[in-house]
Amino acid sequence: MSVAVKKRKSAKLDDQPSFTKELERLHQLGANVENYEDTWARQSLPSIDPATHPIVFQQIEIEECVAQYPPNLPNPFQVKEASSIRIYGVTPDGHSVLCNVHGFLPYIYVPAPRGFKDQDAMKCDYIRGLDTTIGPSKQSPGPTILSVKCVKRSTIYGYHGEEKALFLQAYKNGFTAGATVGRVVCDPTYESNLAYPLRFMIDLEIQGASWLEIPAGSYTARPQSEKTSTCQLEVDLHYEKIIAHQPEGEWSKIAPLRILSFDIECSGRKGVFPDAKIDPVIQIANMVTVQGESTPFVRNVLTLKQCANIVGTHTMCFETEVELLKKWREFVEAVDPDIIIGYNINGFDFPYLLDRAEALDVVEFPHLGRLISSTTRAKDSRFSSKAHGTRDMKTINLEGRLQMDVLMIMQRDYKLRSYTLNSVCAHFLGEQKEDVHYSIISDLQNGNDETRRRLAIYCLKDAYLPQRLLDKLMCVINYMEMARVTGVPFNYLLTRGQQIKVVSQLYRKAKTEDLVIPCLEVEQADDQYEGATVIEPTKGFYQVPIATLDFTSLYPSIIMAHNLCYSTYIDTDARAAALNLEKDKDYHITPNQKKFLLPSVRKGLLPTILEDLLGARKRAKNDLKKETDPFKRAVLDGRQLALKLSANSVYGFTGATIGKLPLLELSAAVTAFGRELIENTKQCVQEKYTIANGYEHDAEVIYGDTDSVMVKFGVATVEEAMKLGKEAADFVTTHFIKPINLDFEKVYFPYLLINKKRYAGLYWTKPTDYDKMDAKGIETVRRDSCRLVSTVIETCLRKILVDRDVSAAEEYTKGVISDLLQNKVDLSNLVISKALGKAEYAAKQAHNELAERMRKRDAGSAPALGDRVSYVIVKGTKDAAAYEKAEDPIYVLENNIPIDTKYYLENQLSKPLMRIFEPILGPKSSSLLSGDHTRTISVAAPTIGGLMKFAVKTATCLGCKTPLRPGESAVCVHCKPRTNELYRRQLDSVTDLEGRFARLWTQCQRCQGSLHQDVICTSQDCPIFYMRKKVQKDMKDSVTTLDRFHYDW
Amino acid sequence: MLEARLERASVLKKLLDAIKELVTDANFDCTDSGIALQAMDNSHVALVALLLRAQGFDHYRCDHSHSLGLSVKTLASIVKTAGNDDSLTIKSEEDGDVLNLIFASPDDKRVSEFDLKLMDIDAERLGIPETDYDAIIKLSSAEFARICRDLLILNESVTIDCQKEHIKFTAAGDTGSGSIKLMPGSSVDDERDEKDEKDKKKLSVPTQITTKQAVVLTFSLKYLASFAKATPLSETVTLMMSTDTPLVVEFKVDEVGYIRYYLAPKIDDA
Repeated sequence: MSVAVKKRKSAKLDDQPSFTKELERLHQLGANVENYEDTWARQSLPSIDPATHPIVFQQIEIEECVAQYPPNLPNPFQVKEASSIRIYGVTPDGHSVLCNVHGFLPYIYVPAPRGFKDQDAMKCDYIRGLDTTIGPSKQSPGPTILSVKCVKRSTIYGYHGEEKALFLQAYKNGFTAGATVGRVVCDPTYESNLAYPLRFMIDLEIQGASWLEIPAGSYTARPQSEKTSTCQLEVDLHYEKIIAHQPEGEWSKIAPLRILSFDIECSGRKGVFPDAKIDPVIQIANMVTVQGESTPFVRNVLTLKQCANIVGTHTMCFETEVELLKKWREFVEAVDPDIIIGYNINGFDFPYLLDRAEALDVVEFPHLGRLISSTTRAKDSRFSSKAHGTRDMKTINLEGRLQMDVLMIMQRDYKLRSYTLNSVCAHFLGEQKEDVHYSIISDLQNGNDETRRRLAIYCLKDAYLPQRLLDKLMCVINYMEMARVTGVPFNYLLTRGQQIKVVSQLYRKAKTEDLVIPCLEVEQADDQYEGATVIEPTKGFYQVPIATLDFTSLYPSIIMAHNLCYSTYIDTDARAAALNLEKDKDYHITPNQKKFLLPSVRKGLLPTILEDLLGARKRAKNDLKKETDPFKRAVLDGRQLALKLSANSVYGFTGATIGKLPLLELSAAVTAFGRELIENTKQCVQEKYTIANGYEHDAEVIYGDTDSVMVKFGVATVEEAMKLGKEAADFVTTHFIKPINLDFEKVYFPYLLINKKRYAGLYWTKPTDYDKMDAKGIETVRRDSCRLVSTVIETCLRKILVDRDVSAAEEYTKGVISDLLQNKVDLSNLVISKALGKAEYAAKQAHNELAERMRKRDAGSAPALGDRVSYVIVKGTKDAAAYEKAEDPIYVLENNIPIDTKYYLENQLSKPLMRIFEPILGPKSSSLLSGDHTRTISVAAPTIGGLMKFAVKTATCLGCKTPLRPGESAVCVHCKPRTNELYRRQLDSVTDLEGRFARLWTQCQRCQGSLHQDVICTSQDCPIFYMRKKVQKDMKDSVTTLDRFHYDW
Repeated sequence: MLEARLERASVLKKLLDAIKELVTDANFDCTDSGIALQAMDNSHVALVALLLRAQGFDHYRCDHSHSLGLSVKTLASIVKTAGNDDSLTIKSEEDGDVLNLIFASPDDKRVSEFDLKLMDIDAERLGIPETDYDAIIKLSSAEFARICRDLLILNESVTIDCQKEHIKFTAAGDTGSGSIKLMPGSSVDDERDEKDEKDKKKLSVPTQITTKQAVVLTFSLKYLASFAKATPLSETVTLMMSTDTPLVVEFKVDEVGYIRYYLAPKIDDA
């Protein structure tokens, strides 16, 4: 982070109003309410006549169940109980709806055996065999296969000619079977591993989070007594009656969803993380907002024991925890939220509340979903995805309510140094938040009304921040758009990976072309195919503009241009011959020697999907340009982003070896084409832009990676480079098949090319001024190094690139190194953080070892799997490995453990610094690390450690550092004449430190919102915290030193 | 102004070898009575105290007390260049920023000169107060080095059990256990291999035990082994122990001074 940004941030911190004021503001915005509880419930439902009143609603969750088959609906198979679908939704007026949809049966496809005839369908042995293998499921006794239909389909996997094969479409009851059926019956079965609700959505063309309409006269409304849920309206209908609206135009709106954000506080015991069996829940703060509105209309806090009043907030105090928990459940039911959010609610708040209710035997508590009969439970589950890594989490069943754990969203969508609520807020909202250590919470709870009020405000803030983050990042809108674009249910986006989105689109498209998708056995193949190409960089520091030419959506456009798809793939020469296919007339050969059909024979599904996606994105972008309403703009922007992401994930899907439908030949073809394109571009540019062709200079491609090439045209100004860049892009594009498009995007000037995937430069898109400083693969963006590294590198780059002052960058670097060696660098700058991954690593890793040690010190506060562990490297024995030297920063601060400055210099700073300075300074660069500035060091003495108990400090002369003799207290005989000067120096240092400490202390007081109370915040993410602690210690030491002078008078 | 001449540079060489593994940078305090160094090792478990008395030098002059901050590693490498019989003169100017070292061969035919830049080291000066020790053991330094080396095979820590009539070193690890017992006055030469002729003489130093009461303490062997690097300095080593206080390992350098190591005992539950 640059110095400038830092300054701005701290200025912001000063201006930041305290949260109490914020609450007051919210209070003034809202209507004055007499009785808070009246505001909880939804508007009551007007009476509805099923015969004349259609129901329109936005569905938010679709789930499977087994239900009694209603007698009034058509029942061709005479089933009593059948697989059916529940759809939860909200009407445009904000009423909650539950639809029980009947009659839709899941099915699978199996290839028909040889000589199979239509009429034998049900009698055939084959089917009976199938039936017994699948067996009756637990939920639905009786025959599993209810009916079999003969259909003509072909498989998507490889081209098998135009002739379709005979498939049996077997309808079954009970949805549990799935993939396992496939392997038992025959290999492969088709479309047998598709989840039942998704099957339902695909067949009815229902997109995720889309609007549905139930026409008048096609449903029955359940009376209050027969309702299975707490929804305001509950209806039964046959699936054929549902009208699915595509999320376009009018139907792209969003229903007034109710979002509940909450946070709990519990009081722990000293040194132990709260345990739900013992430690009480003392406060629950809630904020309820209607989607699209800026202020929460319900703000309340439930507290154990009395709590002083908070303006604009409904405070409910309880004498016992049981009452508190009961009231909260009542509150949730009354408010009836559609989405529940919070920070780490899935990992902590929900499981804790549920466990606590169980410990206290509050039987009515665990009914937080909309389904009356269902009990809310927390189950352990593990989420594993290539893109998002592995993490343990808990699944909580809240039927009909969506959960969005903001922590999970952050971890999935953003790469941050730390994921505590505090640092996430600092990052996105530009605010620091008071972080109260859980051991202090008990003290506040056991104090008086005022201390509990303080805690309540803290708790309310924690409940409000997730909502603000969600609004700021527009998570709800973006996720909803993603669900609509890819057609998966909303909750899949948080609980599933990337693949399901492509699967959903592929099934939808395949259905229209009578293609069926095989259920392939997942194989752990470690086949590697050749990836993207990288043109060997011509390293150096370029003081002339470098134009960058990029392929727009390279991989999608390759797939489209060359008609690459599962359904156009010809696996063998024999097959091509058998189907009478000719090279170049019917198929083409890819650079990796694979055969794909030409679009004239058959157009692939993937190209069609991509065309749709990119076409839709273009439309969305065009609409975005015209749209003025900020809310609609947000929706459109979210959509175009979702479309881009989905288009890019298609290529990955074909290459995922443990995926649902891998076809490595296809992914290899894509990268092969990509390599060819880059090479062609290089050649093209270098052949055309030569002095021989009348240009001023010979153009040179200095670097190229995956989808971009950097060209040095040799011209001196950005403007000229831009002109040539545009021209070259257009020229080269004419050599390629549509829609492959080379685009001129930006000019780098100056440009520092360090190595493959490592470069930095000023980024220009207009000739007048640069847009930003861009750095790739350099430590400014990496998270596994400490903040010091990124600050130093960023500042150096800024000085070199923006100010064009290399010597200033050198001076700055020397200054930092010197500060580091003298222990003057803030500890927060030295903290390294790493995610705690798999529990067991073969090799010992610093963060794993530290987590283990911290667990021994205090099991409660130790990091858990998936958390990021913060540590600093401290001095150790000569041959100690880095993992033995990792230590918790707070522990270091408290015990004054010396930092291994050498480690930071040699292992953290030196490499990235050398990388930057070597291309510029050449061999001179090494003097940065060993010059005179490295010869002043400071060694701290820790307060713990074996020997420290016994050691005594010998005072040294403040002037020349020689040990003092008895009788001397501040200076030695030799320095005596300098006493006055030295005293002044010491006094100045004390005054300075006192001033700094006072400033930091006030800063923290402002942050906590009161200038009259002590600071109790111990936020590990806040740089101010480390500074405050360090200055406090330094000040103490400095004062002690100053006292030594007093003997002299 | 400091000016000091050592007849044999090898003394300093041995001294530096004995501390360079524990201390990377340190202040050498020069006073009119000699040169002293006191520093904790990097992990702050052990403390090294070194003293070179003014009388130990052929020529010693120090006008007023001051400290020389030096990189021990670099200094050791420089001193290593000296021939076995070379003499060494060190000099530092009042306000200079270098330490000047001159090595001269005995016949003054070869003179090499080095300047080492000084460092400004801000470190706290720590010392271990002198105490009355319950047990003082004097033994052959080669024997001590051997015990450390042999027991390090089994475990990283050693228990030293000092009784009136014997001292016993025990190490027990996952793979096995071992102990070595020494009696006062015992000489161990008959156990040695013939090839270590040179060691034989050293090993014949008899063990002396002076105890007020029995002491049993556990120490990190890794550290003891690195203390044993000082063996070339002296034929004997003195161990001083008391319950719950650091162990002192002292090597006396003939006529010149001493090097002392302090090591805190291991506490069982730590």
